[in-house]
Amino acid sequence: MLPRLLLPIACVAAPATASPVAIAVQGLNGAPLAGAVVTLEVPGRAAPAARGTYQVEQRDIRFQPHVTIVPVGATVAFPNRDKVRHHVYSFSKSKKFELKLYGREEARSVTFDKSGPVALGCNIHDAMQGFVFVAATPWAAQADAAGRVRWADVPAGRATLKVWHPTIRAPGNTLSQAVAVGAQGLQTTLTLRR
Amino acid sequence: MIRRPRLRFRSLRTKLGVLYAGLFALALLAIAGVVQVVVEATAHRHTTAELATSGAIFDRLWADRERSLAESAQILASDFGFRSAVASGDRDTIASALASLKTRAHVQAAMVVDLDGAVVGADGPLAAVAAELPFALAPGRRDAVSVADGRAYRFVVSPILAPTEIGWVVFALRLDGAEMRALERLSAIPLTATVLHRRNGRWAAIGGEIPPDASVDALVARAASDRRPATLSLRDGRALAVAKPLAGPSGSAEAAVLIRYPLRLALAQFRPLQIGIGFAGVAGLVLVLLGSGRLALGLTRPIAALDRAARELGEGARTELAVEGEDEIARLAESFNRMSAGIVERERRIAHMTFHDALTGLPNRAALRQAVEQAVARALRAGERAALLCIDLDGLQGVNDTLGHPAGDEMLRRIAASLAELAPDGTVARIGGDEFAILLSGAVSPDRPRQLAQAVLDRLREPIRVEGQLVTTGVGIGVAVAPGDGGDADELLKNADLALHRANADGRSAFRFFEPALDAAARARRELELDLRAALADGQFSLDYQPIVDLGSDRIGGFEALLRWRHPVRGLVSPAEFVPVAEETGLIVAIGEWVMHEACRAAASWPAPVRVAVNVSALQFRHGGLAATITQALAGSGLDPRRLEVEITESVFLDGDGPVAKLLHSLRALGVRVALDDFGTGFSSLSYLRAFPFDKIKIDRSFVIAVARDDGAAAIVNAIVALALALGMDTTAEGVEEVAQLNTLRAQGCGSIQGYLFSRPVGGDQVEALLGRRLARAA
Repeated sequence: MLPRLLLPIACVAAPATASPVAIAVQGLNGAPLAGAVVTLEVPGRAAPAARGTYQVEQRDIRFQPHVTIVPVGATVAFPNRDKVRHHVYSFSKSKKFELKLYGREEARSVTFDKSGPVALGCNIHDAMQGFVFVAATPWAAQADAAGRVRWADVPAGRATLKVWHPTIRAPGNTLSQAVAVGAQGLQTTLTLRR
Repeated sequence: MIRRPRLRFRSLRTKLGVLYAGLFALALLAIAGVVQVVVEATAHRHTTAELATSGAIFDRLWADRERSLAESAQILASDFGFRSAVASGDRDTIASALASLKTRAHVQAAMVVDLDGAVVGADGPLAAVAAELPFALAPGRRDAVSVADGRAYRFVVSPILAPTEIGWVVFALRLDGAEMRALERLSAIPLTATVLHRRNGRWAAIGGEIPPDASVDALVARAASDRRPATLSLRDGRALAVAKPLAGPSGSAEAAVLIRYPLRLALAQFRPLQIGIGFAGVAGLVLVLLGSGRLALGLTRPIAALDRAARELGEGARTELAVEGEDEIARLAESFNRMSAGIVERERRIAHMTFHDALTGLPNRAALRQAVEQAVARALRAGERAALLCIDLDGLQGVNDTLGHPAGDEMLRRIAASLAELAPDGTVARIGGDEFAILLSGAVSPDRPRQLAQAVLDRLREPIRVEGQLVTTGVGIGVAVAPGDGGDADELLKNADLALHRANADGRSAFRFFEPALDAAARARRELELDLRAALADGQFSLDYQPIVDLGSDRIGGFEALLRWRHPVRGLVSPAEFVPVAEETGLIVAIGEWVMHEACRAAASWPAPVRVAVNVSALQFRHGGLAATITQALAGSGLDPRRLEVEITESVFLDGDGPVAKLLHSLRALGVRVALDDFGTGFSSLSYLRAFPFDKIKIDRSFVIAVARDDGAAAIVNAIVALALALGMDTTAEGVEEVAQLNTLRAQGCGSIQGYLFSRPVGGDQVEALLGRRLARAA
């Protein structure tokens, strides 16, 4: 059975003005699911245009940062800060690429033109794992240590709330839920359930 | 109440055999039982340990297999190209990679399951199980056992990381016989491993070799918490078994491995021990039976010998047992031998005593009789002769009385020795108190009996020195010679005895040969005896009375009663003829009693003071009861005791004068007068006159007859009368037949006379007529 999201707290109807949204994510065991990427897709609101450069460093045989949220169309540089060489690849549907062996202070760039999570691996170092989350909405954020995400300016109306985390056993490691953001905003706790 | 049947054995051997064999068998059973228990416990423990080891090996093997399969899968899963193929959904590439992996890893199926549950590399039931498996497995688990298509499969799941999970490589490994055999080969003991699976809640082997069974269910159910082996009763026998439940996808087991070890095999290693104990037991039993048999034989053989010997002894045979060893039985045999010897010795002594005289050691009358019997038979057969000498001693009684019985015995022994010395060719026997006999048999010369008899007479005529005293003895010998004097032992003995009587009758120290006349006389005497008994019964006796005339008054002072016997055939029989026979047979007592009563009865009718004199024999004195007879006669007749005179002869004193004097005094106390009869004959002794104060002395007729012609006789009569007068006794002269005799007697002062001169004895009916008659005074 695939995990699904429960919304035990009632939504409050809100005017079309911007409203605050606070989401808390809890894992299967009830603990806050820190690091989960929560997105709220509002119909008619595309992701903002990419501004500047994003980068995911390979430092200390790790991807830094571990999860990088970028808007659709963003170009992400993969500079190698280690002395060893890396072979960064992704088999994710939203972006398949391969940056063949490159050394220290070399940088490669990849443009992510489709939304969705992109799992980053290194063919040399199996333990290295990182994610570039390509968001198609302005409201995409990573849950803090308490599993919380806050937005202040979400327009009221119907929206799709999605939670991604590598440990979620679901296609694309993503669960989605339709929600309505009221004039007073939305405050809810998402709990992963089997 | 239940009676327990008791075993009874006829022989000690069987008894011992059964006892020992039984005890040994019990001990053996106990040992066998203990051994069996120990063996089973050991086998159980050994097998349990082995099963535990095998279980551990199984666990290890199981884990190793998982690891190696997972590694195989991991190698593929981490291959960049393969990951690329999976990520891009290149099914052909995936399938080809899986095919080569399947061969390399020796598994039945190698599959890839992607995140959507799509399966590449297999289809059908295996694919269906594999599709759900990665999602169903609890975190951390990477293998599970599941039943698909009626077979148990082990699934090993290995994730494909790129770098996140994009799918799983799944191996399906059939848990078949080969897999189990591999496990069995690793065990030190011949285990059997079987895969069970759960069907309708019951556990059974997939192949059907173990059908559903409650004990198997219970074993599998507790296997997770209790790993100890259990004993199962399976189709191929009892077995110790452990179960290894194999976790299914959801965690609960759908299959299990049953590792079992048949107890038959566990016990098989102890079979040599059991067989050895069995053989040792049988050998021991045989030895015990042989040993107990031998022991019993050792016991029973001497006992049987004793039994046999005791029976033989009982039948009179002299038996002696061989004594072996020093045990109780040997001592018993010794005792038996002593007892047997003692019995035989006593029998011999009894036999000797039966046929021998204890005092002299000579054969006794019974032995002599046998010897005579044989000798007579032999004489008849061989035409020889057998002579029997019967020897009668005089004077033994005198020696006994004067010197004592030891002296008498000594004398008998001396005489016995003398006889044996005189007759070395004959058999000397002692056949009575003072009677001996000598049997001459075989080649006896005609003159030998006479010669021997004379030699005996001559030898015994010489005085014998007994206890320092010289003793003279007389002897009478009767000789009878077979076959002429008797055709059998009894006749020869009787005839020798008759001859002896004749010799005795003829005087001292003589021998007589048997003559047929002796036999005739003896026969006549026997007839007389029979007649006497009849006479007493039939009243053939009567009394005659001879007057005794008082010379003072010339009148009858009394009568002497005289016994008369009128035999219906013989006529009048003389007392001289029948009295000795009556005395010998003891009839004299009864006859004397009759006489006493009859005399008193008759006298009572006479005028007083006419007395009656009754003769009393020495035998009557000896018999006792005489005083009672006299008292009864007096009382019965009413006769004044002073009118009864008892005449006795000196022979009454032969038995000693003490008792006789006592009896006479008692008679005198009654008033009865006592007269001494036949004075001057026999063993007359003046001492008798002192022994008792007789009222009267009767002078024997032998003196009276000669008193008128013979001065010597006259002098004796004179002396007797003078003696009687001096002692204050009356005198009666018997047998006075002539006037001259009367005159002489009267002149000498004799008190009274009796004889034909006055009257013969008369019948009782004539007494009254005589009473008035007076003695004619001679001129």
